[in-house]
Amino acid sequence: MRNPIFRAWVLLVLLSAASVLGALAVGAGVNEHLVGSLVLLLAWLKARVILSRYLQLWRAPVWKAGFNWVLGIFCLVLLGLYLAPAISS
Amino acid sequence: MQENTAAPRRGALEELPGDLMMWVLIISELLVFGAGLAAFLGVRITDPDGFAEARTHLHPALAGVNTIVLITSGFLAALAAEAAMIGKSARLRWLLTGASLLGVVFLLIKGYEFADVAGQGISTETHPFFTFYYLLTGFHALHVVAGIIILALVGWKCSERNVEVGTAFWHMVDLVWVLLFPVIYLLA
Repeated sequence: MRNPIFRAWVLLVLLSAASVLGALAVGAGVNEHLVGSLVLLLAWLKARVILSRYLQLWRAPVWKAGFNWVLGIFCLVLLGLYLAPAISS
Repeated sequence: MQENTAAPRRGALEELPGDLMMWVLIISELLVFGAGLAAFLGVRITDPDGFAEARTHLHPALAGVNTIVLITSGFLAALAAEAAMIGKSARLRWLLTGASLLGVVFLLIKGYEFADVAGQGISTETHPFFTFYYLLTGFHALHVVAGIIILALVGWKCSERNVEVGTAFWHMVDLVWVLLFPVIYLLA
């Protein structure tokens, strides 16, 4: 577990598994909008890991922070669009 | 007079790891796919029930397996870039071969999924959901094909710079998928 790339891979696998399990929880009666929000949060976290470790943005902290912010805002936009039908009804 | 011994300050663009043009490409691709995903969820507002029903024709579990396949492929590509930095060309070629083969596995699973959905009589005109589904995942699959070719090329001409640029393209394909997958397959 010393290699940060290996740690990133483990984290990505865990986050992906959590996304799928979260989506399955909808069938078990968990609120779908809560799960949808969680799935988008996990997507943002996965994107952060790929940018930081796979694409090596950890070497450029300013760029890393910029990408994280923009992707975070983008995921919030997606969340707003996802929740819009529930809010308007 | 005091001599200035401080190291010259690096510009913001010089801090970016790898090739600047690859980052331009990565940002462009993120914008294109990002616009597609926003449009997908935007159109969904007009027919959320239709989108929810359409999604039941897909295979989220298979797409989940494909996610693991692609991030594992990215892991091997990242190790290859690391091997290139310390001049281990035999190791990096093996790692790039593994990354490419997992890319082929991704395409085979994706091909099976497309065949299954098409076999249900579903085309791009069946429902707006499937227009976006075929367009976004198909366009992404084309990037996987391009990525496999690029990995093969940089494995052949394996300078440190080539491997860094080639694997960055592969990670971009990875990055797009981790955003596509939940929006198309998981958001109920």
